[in-house]
Amino acid sequence: MMRRCFVVLAAALTFGAGPALAEDTVPVGAIEILSGPSAAYGIAIRAGLELALDEVNVHGVLGGRKIALTIEDSAGLKDQAINAARKLIGRDKVIAIIGPTLSNEMFAVGPVTNERRIPTVGTSTTAVGVTAIGPFIFRTSLPEADVIPVTLKKAMSRGVKTIALVYANDDVFSKSGFDVMKAAAEKAGLNIVAIESFGSKDTDFSAQLTKIKALKPDAVGISALVEPTSGVLLQARQLGFGSETLFIGGNGANSPKLGEIAGAAADGLIVGSPWFIGKPDPANQQFVADFRKKYSKDPDQFAAQAFDALRIVAAAINRAGAADPVKLREALTQTTFSGVTGPFAFTAGRDPASAAGVVVLVMQGGKFGIAP
Amino acid sequence: MPEWLDDFLWTYQNLVHALGINGLLALSMYVVLAVGQLSLGQAAFMGLGAYSSVLLTLKLDLPFLAVLPLSCVAPVLFALAIGVPTLRLSGVYLAIATIGLGEVLRAVYLNVDWLGGALGLSGIPGRAESWMIFGLLGVAILALWAVGRSAIGRAMAAIREDETAAQVMGINLARYRLGALLASAVLAGLAGALGAHSSSFIGPNEYGFEPAVTILSFALLGGIGTPLGPVVGAWILTLLPEVLRGFSDLRLVFNGVIIVLAVLFLPEGLLALRMRRHAA
Repeated sequence: MMRRCFVVLAAALTFGAGPALAEDTVPVGAIEILSGPSAAYGIAIRAGLELALDEVNVHGVLGGRKIALTIEDSAGLKDQAINAARKLIGRDKVIAIIGPTLSNEMFAVGPVTNERRIPTVGTSTTAVGVTAIGPFIFRTSLPEADVIPVTLKKAMSRGVKTIALVYANDDVFSKSGFDVMKAAAEKAGLNIVAIESFGSKDTDFSAQLTKIKALKPDAVGISALVEPTSGVLLQARQLGFGSETLFIGGNGANSPKLGEIAGAAADGLIVGSPWFIGKPDPANQQFVADFRKKYSKDPDQFAAQAFDALRIVAAAINRAGAADPVKLREALTQTTFSGVTGPFAFTAGRDPASAAGVVVLVMQGGKFGIAP
Repeated sequence: MPEWLDDFLWTYQNLVHALGINGLLALSMYVVLAVGQLSLGQAAFMGLGAYSSVLLTLKLDLPFLAVLPLSCVAPVLFALAIGVPTLRLSGVYLAIATIGLGEVLRAVYLNVDWLGGALGLSGIPGRAESWMIFGLLGVAILALWAVGRSAIGRAMAAIREDETAAQVMGINLARYRLGALLASAVLAGLAGALGAHSSSFIGPNEYGFEPAVTILSFALLGGIGTPLGPVVGAWILTLLPEVLRGFSDLRLVFNGVIIVLAVLFLPEGLLALRMRRHAA
């Protein structure tokens, strides 16, 4: 009985790896979270990748060969992400891997793919040190440290000279976002008149806001998740903050939920984003229209970044001139690409080189639009 | 070695390591269940072993064969601190205390900077070899089997079946339970160190409540009559998600159905065996 079990398992491991790939395709892998609590990110990314695949495979790469994309689920678990990477490299013989979804997964997968010299391109990994894993690890996602300065520049063009900062001090994203915001404000030469903090679950911010109101700053920067950010805005309006004060959101404020919760209180808030659905350039509008047609829903930032990433890899395969991982790595470093997230190139450290694609959004009537 | 075999071994190297490591974790749960106690601290002990071993490797650069035994020290100390007061009581106190331990440690890993915070510790050299993992697993199974067949094993079974009767027979409950918890901490600590040194990254969320429940399900699926049961349970739960990769979207559905069927139709576990003992 047990022996038969093991034979079946071994057979499944050997042959269950998916259909055999035809000779004339170029195998590329992706590792994303398709099940479990963080599946929303992976599913958006998969949608972006598959849309890009349709476009690339119309003409193919390397003179007409189609890309065969194998997407594996990591369930957000380190061990499954490593198993998926090893399976993609060892059995599917992929020449590049897109993903994994989370920075934590990349820290586990990166050393494995780097050792096997397979270029690995993260589309949603923003943590410090991801690309330092090794020369084969790339990423196309812009860290917050690149987004905030663009937002502050927009604020300063509107005459902002003094700023107060408030942030939630009990969660990692808000705290690191605040650190970035403070450093960027100092570098930009803004005068920081006050720094106040609160807890993510707080509902009363009147003490902090009253103190800030007395100092009359030109702007207030908020680094918190979307719920407390909304709470700060609602209470600020009650305390008499008017349109003369510019509110600046961190990454947590870059969510349609802000308009739903805070309503008119959020009007006028500005926030930087690597991508925006309403960007008017034809490439982006084409992408949004195609995405809606294929999936009957709106794309998000993760889908847009994935859409660009697969096309960046496909273009690099063409420049490499062969389905060879080492040549592909060289070609990737030479990337100059214009996608739906804007112009793109890699730095020498294999991070995104430019923040030119960042758009500053303004909240108006419960919806984001591009800030004038 | 032919190329295809080399590729096959490389592809499933992490999976093979996970089989051995999860086997050790299942045994660490088995030891506690064998004296009729429920501990949900296996993941916490594993985390202590993992973090302490990684610090020894990264900061002091000790050889792995020295790191491995040292990785048991922290779990054993915490097991003593938790076990001595709670194991004198009967009931669920150990379970409650060990859930608490896991959550407290997770908060510590998150907030102490030199433990990496939310980013965890990365760049761990892959020093755990298959022979170490399966050697330790084999030794652990044999040792637990030998203990199970001895007088100690009979005392443990007596405690599990009826505490009062066991006490009347002159069995020191607290001592047996503490011994089991310490053995469990050692096994989990070793598993933590081996796991950390075969995957290059550890983070605080790998050692919280959810993995503790997974480890418990290893033992329950396999059956706790013999040490082999939990190991088989661990192997099946580790292999299933990989074997079912071909089903892509329906993977979790099949995974769940198989586990539900096993629980419904095999309530004693897959290996519902009892250990044969010599007459006293």
